[in-house]
Amino acid sequence: MVNPEELKNEAKKALKEGKVKYIIGYRKKPEESMATPAFIRRAEDSEILIWDPTCVHNLVRFLSDEKRRRKREKNPEQRPVGIVIKGCDSRAINVLLQEKFIAREDVYLIGISCEDNGVIDEKKLRKKLNGRKAKRVDFKEGQELIIETEEGKIFLPAKEILAERCLECKVNFPIVYDVLLGDKTKRKPEKEFASVEKFDSLSTSQKWDFWKNQLEKCIRCYACRSVCPMCYCDECVVDTISFAVSADTTAEEKANKIKWIEKSPVLSENIVYHMVRAIHLAGRCVDCGECERACPVNIPLRLLNNKMEKEAKELFGYEAGLDSQQPSLVACFRDEDPQDFIR
Amino acid sequence: MAFLCKWCSSAGSDLAGVSRMEYPPNAVPITVMCSGSVSPLYIFNAFKRGADGVLVSGCHPGDCHYIKGNYYARRRIALVKKLLEFIGLEPQRFQMSWVSAAEGLKYTQIIKDFVKEIKPLGPQTKLRREK
Amino acid sequence: MDKVLHKKALPKWLKELESYEIYAPQENDDLWSFELVKSFEFLDSNYSNCIQSPKKIIFPQTETLLKFERLENGKLEVEEQLPEDRKKVIFGVRPCDAKALTLMDKVFTGDFEDLYYTKRRNQTTLVGLGCNTPPSPQCFCVSVGGSPHSNEGLDILMTDLEDKYYLQSFTAKGNELLILGKNIFEEPNPDEKSMLKRIHQEAKNKFKTKLREIEKIPDKLKGMFDSSFWDEEAMSCIRCGICTYLCPTCHCFDINDEVYSTSSLRGKRIRTWDTCQFPDFTMHSSGHNPRPDKASRLRQRIFHKFQYFVEKFNAYQCTGCGRCISKCPVGIDITEILEKVKNYGS
Repeated sequence: MVNPEELKNEAKKALKEGKVKYIIGYRKKPEESMATPAFIRRAEDSEILIWDPTCVHNLVRFLSDEKRRRKREKNPEQRPVGIVIKGCDSRAINVLLQEKFIAREDVYLIGISCEDNGVIDEKKLRKKLNGRKAKRVDFKEGQELIIETEEGKIFLPAKEILAERCLECKVNFPIVYDVLLGDKTKRKPEKEFASVEKFDSLSTSQKWDFWKNQLEKCIRCYACRSVCPMCYCDECVVDTISFAVSADTTAEEKANKIKWIEKSPVLSENIVYHMVRAIHLAGRCVDCGECERACPVNIPLRLLNNKMEKEAKELFGYEAGLDSQQPSLVACFRDEDPQDFIR
Repeated sequence: MAFLCKWCSSAGSDLAGVSRMEYPPNAVPITVMCSGSVSPLYIFNAFKRGADGVLVSGCHPGDCHYIKGNYYARRRIALVKKLLEFIGLEPQRFQMSWVSAAEGLKYTQIIKDFVKEIKPLGPQTKLRREK
Repeated sequence: MDKVLHKKALPKWLKELESYEIYAPQENDDLWSFELVKSFEFLDSNYSNCIQSPKKIIFPQTETLLKFERLENGKLEVEEQLPEDRKKVIFGVRPCDAKALTLMDKVFTGDFEDLYYTKRRNQTTLVGLGCNTPPSPQCFCVSVGGSPHSNEGLDILMTDLEDKYYLQSFTAKGNELLILGKNIFEEPNPDEKSMLKRIHQEAKNKFKTKLREIEKIPDKLKGMFDSSFWDEEAMSCIRCGICTYLCPTCHCFDINDEVYSTSSLRGKRIRTWDTCQFPDFTMHSSGHNPRPDKASRLRQRIFHKFQYFVEKFNAYQCTGCGRCISKCPVGIDITEILEKVKNYGS
């Protein structure tokens, strides 16, 4: 099992040696059960870093903020940013490296293996506790988790409250890192793409009814986009802000301005937004599950992105984030790409 | 809505016209420079504005005027097709074809078949935006 | 007007209200939201609060302001699209959400009356459900001058008395609903009245007030505009829109023209919610953005709620519902920030 003290020591060392500008990790507020992202700059602050099953966030998301910050500074500091990453997060790093969004020397990766466990789904935990409040959650050997409530400790099989994506995890220890804590425990995941295949077996009208109900709920808060490490575009397709308006711009030109997706959260616009996002993430999504976790209205976004992941693998033999040197999915092709759907 | 690449498919549709071949008038052709330049946004927006069907047509593999454009299209359109089916749009509504500049007859056949397949499905209301 | 209603008699009351459009919390896949319904199951279940406040019914996320069309004779026809006349009742409104509507009233009926808002507001009757226990661990209504059984903004307040409901009506609209109920109700007896008082008092004590002395905050904020405090606090913000869209008091909006056809010109002018947390919220058409970073946007949110609104309307633009805290994907806690503001510099 990973000893959280090792994590604190690694962070302390990196900060003391001046190796990194700051470190992005997890901390826990005293009253809350779930971890929250922490940014520490001084070696002594490393004491607040934690590692437990509530560390669900994909911290790679904050690298795009760092890049924007650097762009704004006149003489940006060149030291790398330290970041605590899990297996899924390391795949995200690989995708960003592959797309040359970051350089390898821009990050100092403190990798932590989930070993035979994973991170929890807060909704599942809340359901299991049925009104009782969790004070903290800890790892235990043998795929179990310890939940501490006001009434005492409960031991649960991890399977019951782990996040769905952890149950289907293919990479449960970081595949790129500068430092690795924990064992490289190979894990036998459940059947790959099981939920996608189950959904695919529905009829066309059943599929439509499902997505119509789900996407009508969307309030276009863009949390799914904001929490995704791969959605780093300065101008997203929904924003359409770069329309230079000068004194001579006519009303005609303004009316004819191309707006792919209107701002109003009606079904047709929501569908286009989510489909475009799925396509933009094809071959790039690493199934960190953050989009689905962040969604305030419980839209099953992983299902859409997993479908693209499945097609990328089955049609084109492509998997995201395993090799930082491979070309991106839609920027390459093979002679044997399927074309039986083409007349 | 038919997105036709300028060098092959659009020329093929012109050949069909010049040769006075008859085919259903339901297709609205839009010439694009290359099938590889067809963005998923064009396709989704075509459906959003009420298109009952969308066709993307380009040069045969190996014949692309820009060498590789149609290979990229082959990949991208495959993904879009799978996604539209997953959302619950009838698969017949979105199709892709290879039509060369000499295949006027093939173009008319494709349009004929397309119209025959989607007419019984009725107008496309799922992705269409409300007025 | 005070009445008592036996829980089993509730469906009878509902039947008498057929002339109204009735909204109540409806559960769908573990998520509660205010929907047009015919059932009141929420009253028997572990209902806490809906994900979105009743703001979405009175001030919808998207609404058409006007339609425009260029006619065949070349004339441009513009048609206002005020909301249609429709009486509504919303059940299950928590006092924090109702108070939030009174705050929004100040904005939409101040110097200028927003007819789109006031029309819906005046035609809607709010039936509140008091909080005998805090609905969520993040509730803090008592810290911002609210209370779990406050009637601010409500037409009727329902208090759960185990097998019955104690109904208190405070407005003419509320009385109307009670009158429609005719003899389904009973007059409250002295035992019920004292039970009500007891429950109301106990409820207040159950709220663990994390945030105290909020009066110190507006002045403290005045001196913090240029502080680097905001950079640190905003580090983990991911600039989504969850806090503002779920907030019952946030009301910023955007107006866009949706053009359906350019020849001949036809389209709608649509108002949608907007959020100060999006990077392009303050983007000028020149390209300049006065709030280009997360720090300035977080600062804006705190200032708007606890400084600007106080200066303008003498009230905090926050009713302590706790949604922004529980739904923030990175766990940013507004009460934590406010505590730090209060103790800043000391």
